[in-house]
Amino acid sequence: MAELAYYVYCIAESAAAAQLPVESLPAAIEDDSKLEWISVNTLAALASKVPRAAYSEENLAEQLTDATWTAIRAMRHETVVEFVAKRATVIPLRFGTIYLERGGVEQMLTEKSRELESIIQQLRGREEWGVNVYYDRAVLLSSIISVSPVLRDLVQKAEQAPPGQSYLMQKKIEALKVDEARAAVNRIVDEIEQALKSQTDDARRLRILKVETTDHGELKAKFAFLVKRSAFEEFRDAAERLAQEHQSAGVRLELTGPWPIYNFCAG
Amino acid sequence: MSDFDQIIVGEEWENTDLSLLETLDHVLNRGLVIAGEITIAVADVDLIFVGLNVLVSSVETANEVIRKRPANE
Repeated sequence: MAELAYYVYCIAESAAAAQLPVESLPAAIEDDSKLEWISVNTLAALASKVPRAAYSEENLAEQLTDATWTAIRAMRHETVVEFVAKRATVIPLRFGTIYLERGGVEQMLTEKSRELESIIQQLRGREEWGVNVYYDRAVLLSSIISVSPVLRDLVQKAEQAPPGQSYLMQKKIEALKVDEARAAVNRIVDEIEQALKSQTDDARRLRILKVETTDHGELKAKFAFLVKRSAFEEFRDAAERLAQEHQSAGVRLELTGPWPIYNFCAG
Repeated sequence: MSDFDQIIVGEEWENTDLSLLETLDHVLNRGLVIAGEITIAVADVDLIFVGLNVLVSSVETANEVIRKRPANE
């Protein structure tokens, strides 16, 4: 029998874990293993056994370069955490948190109990929603004259100027359009952030990965918001109002969620 | 809601590759970091993600991954 290790998905309260018997839970990260709750006092970690060889530090680095292997396991991790998050307050752990022995998980729960309990209190009754802000460069450039007072002024002056001077001013206008478009989209993103932040308990601006491309236009900003379940309708309405308001500037909003609370559990 | 896309994770799953990429980003880059006895170096995660992006942009492989996501709801 191969040596095993414990892969940990998330942490919940023991009382909540008791309501979620392992038979009712989704499949574990590896086919031939079952999920199990490892409970210490008020806290419980959801874990499953994995072959120690495949998940050892050096082999794991190698395995992870196989994108299909990684994607399947990341999806299973997510499926498990989502399932629990729909039914209990849960702290999702980052992919690849592994202990060699059951005792290691128990020790972690014991040593970090105060911190973990306080995170659970902060997350209770809340969900994470993602907001992605995209913009269409062509639409923004064509609408920028009506948005930018500086440009509007310059266009008016160019119309009244003599032909030679007007030509030079046109050149200047084209260059200014690009700068103004950039400034406008940054302003809109800030405005969206502030408006939605005021509706929620917490907000994070997330880094944009270079590899992200979409059909929606260029991804300009990515936010995560911590939203009370009871306040979600208002949050969604606010996002929809913002989407309508900035549509003419080529800006689009995309709301994703509800996510397990990945971005607000740093304590 | 023509100007407002809403992806409900786990419900409109098969409709979009974006949500697969979004999900992988969440799982691999976020979540509470507790130092386990074995952990992935953060530096590796970016590299992994590049590979995943290639995978996701191949619809066929992405579908395979989604199929292997166990149905449980």
